[in-house]
Amino acid sequence: MAKHNNANLIPANIPTLQEKARISRRHILEMCTRAGEGRIASAFSCTELLVSLFQGRILRFDASKPEWDERDRFIMSKSPGAVGLYPILADLGFFPADELEKFCSADGMLGPYGDTVPGVEAVWGSLGHGLGVGAGLALAAKLDKNDYMTVVMIGDGETYEGSIWEAAMFAAHHKLDNLVAITDRNGICTIDFTENCLKLDPLEDKWKSFGWDAVTIDGHSYDEIFTAFKDFHNRKSNKPLMVIANTIKGKGVSVLENNPMGHIMIPSGNVLEQARQELNK
Amino acid sequence: MNKTMRDAFLDKLYDIARADSRVILISNDFGAPSLDKYREDLPEQFIHIGIAEQNMVNVAAGLAMAGKIVYLYSIAPFLPLRCYEQMRVHMALRRPNVTAVAVGAGYSYDLSGPTHQSLEDIALMTALPGMAVYSPSDSMLGAALAQMTYEDPGPKYIRFDREKLQPQYAASVNFSEGLATLRKGADLVIIATGYMVQQALKIAEKLEQNSVTAGVIDLYRPKPLNGDLLLKEIGKAKRVVTLDESFVNSGIGSIVSGLVMDYDSEIRVKRFGTPDRFMPPGRSRSQLHRLCGLDVETVAGEILRLVRN
Repeated sequence: MAKHNNANLIPANIPTLQEKARISRRHILEMCTRAGEGRIASAFSCTELLVSLFQGRILRFDASKPEWDERDRFIMSKSPGAVGLYPILADLGFFPADELEKFCSADGMLGPYGDTVPGVEAVWGSLGHGLGVGAGLALAAKLDKNDYMTVVMIGDGETYEGSIWEAAMFAAHHKLDNLVAITDRNGICTIDFTENCLKLDPLEDKWKSFGWDAVTIDGHSYDEIFTAFKDFHNRKSNKPLMVIANTIKGKGVSVLENNPMGHIMIPSGNVLEQARQELNK
Repeated sequence: MNKTMRDAFLDKLYDIARADSRVILISNDFGAPSLDKYREDLPEQFIHIGIAEQNMVNVAAGLAMAGKIVYLYSIAPFLPLRCYEQMRVHMALRRPNVTAVAVGAGYSYDLSGPTHQSLEDIALMTALPGMAVYSPSDSMLGAALAQMTYEDPGPKYIRFDREKLQPQYAASVNFSEGLATLRKGADLVIIATGYMVQQALKIAEKLEQNSVTAGVIDLYRPKPLNGDLLLKEIGKAKRVVTLDESFVNSGIGSIVSGLVMDYDSEIRVKRFGTPDRFMPPGRSRSQLHRLCGLDVETVAGEILRLVRN
């Protein structure tokens, strides 16, 4: 597979990607309401990010060969958002689309927090693990002189875990410029706003002080996402990169948007109908 | 020359790692004289992770996903206690070729006190599905574990004693059975692990002087437990005594009791271990054993009382 220049993708594809994101959210809503399980709001905050990485082809992969040696490694450390990956990976052909209908059932392969999912290295139900695992993958790439990139998506609530900062120190010390982390900064953990719980801001300063490059973007803006990843495969720094993506938890459905009680909410009845209508626009 | 089991293991691992660059050892700021050569000669295969056990397991998981064969090296009990959940997810659940090596089994760090003693690890590690758990009794077995763990692709945990222990095995012994009878006896069988194996032999001598013949089994692999062989080796003895420094509910005593019950056996089991409380710091190992009723005199006396009743 030829290497590609991400920057060329930006202008022409944005309307297509916007439509992909809308379709993905529609799938997520139906999957979670059907199963009575899944974290819709967590998946909606990172939809544009996941669409950009996969359908926008920021990541290097071959859906017909999920284990391709040269693939970029993606870890969904923010496991509540795992359901947000599935419609995207199915659209790309990593697995049959009817798996989406079998979400969270004994017949299917897709669970609420993932397990073995073709297209991603790892998803766990447990938070705070992915950045260290990603650092291990990135270090192995350095040792073996492989040029794949490792991308880890973490949640802002997940950032409270001490193991995130253990990994942050490790990655900077080992100059893992082949490691990029994204924080889905939707501002809400499970039961409250992060800044009410324990202040995370100034988050960018924290990462910089740990020896990382850090940028803050609008995580729903394709322009800003693709700009942050413009030189992704040819980074001109010897530091790992943190992309703090400011997002809206529950983005796209008004009852879920920025609602601190929205984390576990699965709409039903009239609320579900309204959510469907909002996502049909 | 008798080495500590840790040094015997690291010397072998050095040879393995020299021949296979996939082998990586991660230390959490814990060293050994035998590790210096490894660090010097194989710098790309040694990672000093800092005092960060959670990250140690997470990074190992990433390295293993990329095809590395990873050894974690730490003073017990911080591995496994500080990073138990990481071990559960990244070792037991995902089953990479990662071996956790903890030095300081039982009361190895006697004077340091409870924070440095490892009295729960057998229970914690055997609780995890598919985790192989080794509790060796001498340096020959320690050395053999380097090759055995290298060749076994699943998750493994080894608890090494810190001290040089009395040699039990010859170089030619095959350790794949998980246990070995070191002494035969008709009246009862003492099943011991780690440091307590040499103590069990002393207890058996003591009993012999009192006309009671006790067998001794070294249960050096509590998991997977070789239950069929263990029952066969217990043979006709109707009484089993377990000997382990672990808290009495956290050691091999519970494992053996469970086996006996699951086999609907009529064997009677008496467990010796640390009672359900922490012991004070600043005590030598022999003082700790006396406090716990694990010293040779007390255990032998208790066994004589049981046998004669």
